[in-house]
Formats: sequence, C-alpha cells, structure tokens
Amino acid sequence: MSTSVTPRVYFQNVWDSLYTTFAGMKITGKYLMQKPITVQYPDERLPIPDRYRGIHYLEQEKCINCLACARACPIDCIEMDAIRHGKELEWVLFTLDYQKCMFCELCVYPCPKDCIHMGTEFAFVSYDRSEFNHDLLSYRGMSREARIRKREADIKKAEKEAAKALKAAAAAEAAAAEEGDEG
Amino acid sequence: MIHSSLLASSGGNVFSSLLQGVAPEGVPIWAISLGAAFLGVGILVAFVSLVAMFSVWLERKVSAHIQCRYGPMYVGGWHGWAQTIADGVKLLLKEDLIPLGADRPLFMLAPAIVLGAIFGALVALPLAPGFFFADVDMGLFLILAFSSLTTIGVVMAGWASNSKWSLYGAMREAAQVVAYEIPLGVSLFVPLMVAGTFSLTEASAAQSGWFGMHWFIFQNPFMLPAFIIFFIAALAETKRAPFDLPEAESELVAGFMTEYSGIRWSFFFMEEYAAMFLMSAVGTIFFFGGYHSPLTAMFPESATSGVLYQLVCAGTIIVKSFAGVFVMMWLRWTLPRMRIDQVMSMGYKYLTPLALACVLGAAIWETIFTGDSL
Repeated sequence: MSTSVTPRVYFQNVWDSLYTTFAGMKITGKYLMQKPITVQYPDERLPIPDRYRGIHYLEQEKCINCLACARACPIDCIEMDAIRHGKELEWVLFTLDYQKCMFCELCVYPCPKDCIHMGTEFAFVSYDRSEFNHDLLSYRGMSREARIRKREADIKKAEKEAAKALKAAAAAEAAAAEEGDEG
Repeated sequence: MIHSSLLASSGGNVFSSLLQGVAPEGVPIWAISLGAAFLGVGILVAFVSLVAMFSVWLERKVSAHIQCRYGPMYVGGWHGWAQTIADGVKLLLKEDLIPLGADRPLFMLAPAIVLGAIFGALVALPLAPGFFFADVDMGLFLILAFSSLTTIGVVMAGWASNSKWSLYGAMREAAQVVAYEIPLGVSLFVPLMVAGTFSLTEASAAQSGWFGMHWFIFQNPFMLPAFIIFFIAALAETKRAPFDLPEAESELVAGFMTEYSGIRWSFFFMEEYAAMFLMSAVGTIFFFGGYHSPLTAMFPESATSGVLYQLVCAGTIIVKSFAGVFVMMWLRWTLPRMRIDQVMSMGYKYLTPLALACVLGAAIWETIFTGDSL
C-alpha cells in the first residue's frame, strides 16, 4: 500500500488488495483441491532406490570371519569375532556401531564372500545409545539346524563307539574263554 | 409468528416452554425459568465446545490440504476426527502454570471473561425460527457489545501475564479492535436498513422466499461491498490472519497467550473459534438469508412449525456459518500477516470511509426504490 494518498492511488490500493487476495485464494484453493503429496509414513512408504545405503545386513552362513570389512572401515565401527570348530564357525559377535557409521559402503566391496550388504531400512530409533551398537548376527554361534545335526551326529557317534566297545569286550571275553578251554 | 407465541407463553425462551410442558402441577414459574436458564446454558456450553472442536479439526485439515499434507489421520479412525478430543484431554491434564510475577487474580479471570463474553454473544444467535436462547430485540447490538468485551479479557490477560510479549499483544488487540469496531458496526447498517430491525430472528425471518431471492445480499448494490467490509472487519475482530497481530507467533511468541498453558490457554483457543463461528453466523443472518435456504423453502406453509423444519433451519444456518469459517481459514492460509501500521491505515483510512460511503449509498437507494424501510 502506498502512503501518498491521491484518489487514484486510494482506489488502486483498494482494487489491488482485493485482487491480490483473490489471486492468492485461487492459488491456495488449487492446492486445497489437489491430492496431498505426502504419504502416511509408517503405513505407506515412498519407494526406496535399490542402491540405497541403509542399515547393513549380513549373510551369516557365508561369512568366514576374515575381518576384511572391519579393516576396510575408515572409522573402525565393525567388531567381529568367531571361534572355529572344524568347518563350522561359532559366532561370538559381529557388531556395527551406528553412532559412528557414516554409511560409506566401503565395508561391502572388500568382502571375498559377498556377504555384507547395505540394506534399505533407515528408521533406527532407540531410547538408549547402547542399542546403536547394533548386532548384525541373527543368531549366536552355530545355526539351530547345525546344532541339531551336530548333536544327532554326536549321539550316533557315541552309540557307535559304545556298540564297538561292547563288541570288543565281548570278543575279548570270548577269546579269554577260548584260551582257558585250551589251557 | 411461532417464536412470539412461545415468548408469550412464559416470558422466557424455548426451554421454559418445554419445561412448562413436562413440569408437574404446582411448580412455581421462577423454578421453571431458572431450570430453563440452566438448561440453556448447558446446551450453549456444549454447542460452543462442539463448534470449537469441529472448527479446530477443520482448520487443521484445511491448512494441511492447502500445504498438500493430510493433517491428522489416525485418532478416531476416520480422518482423525477425534484429534481435537485427544488434544482437549491432553490440555486438561497439563500443568496449570501461573508465572511468579503475574497478577494472579487477573491472570485467572481473563480466560473466563473471554469465554464468558463469547457465550453471552452466542445467546442472541437464533438457530431456527423457534430455537434461540434469548430473543433479544437489540440482538445485533448485544452481539457486537459482547464480542468487544472479549477484548477486555485479552487486555487483562496481556497485562496480568507480566510479560513483554503479552503486553505487546494486548496493546495491539486493543488498537486493532478499536479501529475495526467502527467499520464492523457501520457496514452492518446496510443490511439493517433493509431489515429494519436489530433482532436476528426477525432479520432471518424477513429473508424467506424461493432460492434465496430475498437474501439481503441481493437487495441492493451496496450489500456486496458492505459484506466484504464486514468480513474483513470480522477477521480483525476475531484476531484471525492476516490480522492476527495480537498473537503474532513469529514476533510475539504467542502474544497475549504467551504465559498461558493447559486449560486456560484452550479457553482462548475455544473463544477464537467460537468467535469465528459467531461472526460467520452474523454475516449469514444479515447477508445470506439466515436459516433460509432452497431446502427450507420447499416446506409447505403448514409444516413450518414442525420439528423437522426447525432442524433443517438449524442445519442450514450451521452449514452456512461453517462455510464462512472455511473462507476465514482459507484466507488465513493464503495471506501473510500485515504490519501494525498497515492494519491501522486499512481500518481507519480504507474500511471506515468505504463503509460510510456504502451506508450513504444504501440509504439513498432504499429511499428511492423502496422508501418504506427507513
């Protein structure tokens, strides 16, 4: 609004304020009728690109505890440890500290078995800092199946050995008896 | 007319005649009047709360959709309709804070005055030909007087808060209301000249007729500018954007409400939305046909005393008023806030002279073309 008041300016001001108001209302009215562009976040999500660098996931069966990813990490946020039992690994820990991690993806490239990946999950909320030291292991030690197989194998082996020992004892007894007969 | 017969029966409102019908023999008339008053107040409080609740929800939805958002979507299921109830419960449970340096009695009195004034103003509002809390001859006068009484509460709140933000907000409110009371009242002279009455029930009743052809807005060419002036002044009166200087949140935190919290704060909030509804209803009654619509015009003359007709009338006026509230919200989310000097110059230099010009034009028009209303 201009402050110098001639009749022309006065009525121009009146017209301008009305016209600009209606022009503005036209624009906002257009947006009012439009479908909202936001999504109802927790229920629906925008599509995430395939190469999005979110929270890691680990294919634990493939991992050989070679520490290549931990060495590649520029801020040393990966910690891993496992005990080897023959061909099977008993996992102690595989943690990734998301307080430090900068999602650079450098841990993914050196993996010889291609078992650590960047996932698409990005929501990682916690009431406690310690939970950001995220455990990537989906299970501790051997898999359940492996443990069952191992236990079954152990039982079978023990049975076999017991049977063998029984047989050997029986054979020894028989041999002793034969010897006694002869003597 | 129906309401005059109701009035004649007991000298009270629709509730007293209702109570008279059900009360046993021997109940004194003052008891019935008192009961009717309490019943009316209860219904009024419930009505204001419902209006405020719906308006807050509507405001959030309108603002959200203008900004291409959804707004509240979860509480209550359908588009977050119960969000305001949840907010109300939250506000009730909040700590009741009073600043140490505040003037305690005034601080506690201010929200009550603000809300009480708006209840007082709504008393004169007729919802249907036979449904009003009080049929006041000077209804419009009463409404304008009560709605400027809210300013006292706002100034009181600003002063008692002992905060610079609150005081600035209160000063602005006082200056703004003084400036805009004049065009608000003067622009209403134009429909008053056509109606020939201050009573809202009579003004509404005068606008019956098929498809709104008797609405005051079509009666003479000065009605539309008068309505625009009335609407702008009503925006300023109800502290709505672009005139929300008393609570300018980007400069004054929350203006006169800065130090308020919890339920006291929500009183101011309720007052704002009730005042919006009230101003829209006054605009509806004096420009857009009151409770008359094509729907009510379809009722035969014999059915106009029935309950259904009253309900349709009440629905009509509520829908029309909420249309006005919606436009107020639309404007709020369209226009930026004005500067205080712009507000003052608009009120004194533009709206007041233009409103007076409208009154003069309408008076001349009425004298020449009808000649009987003056």
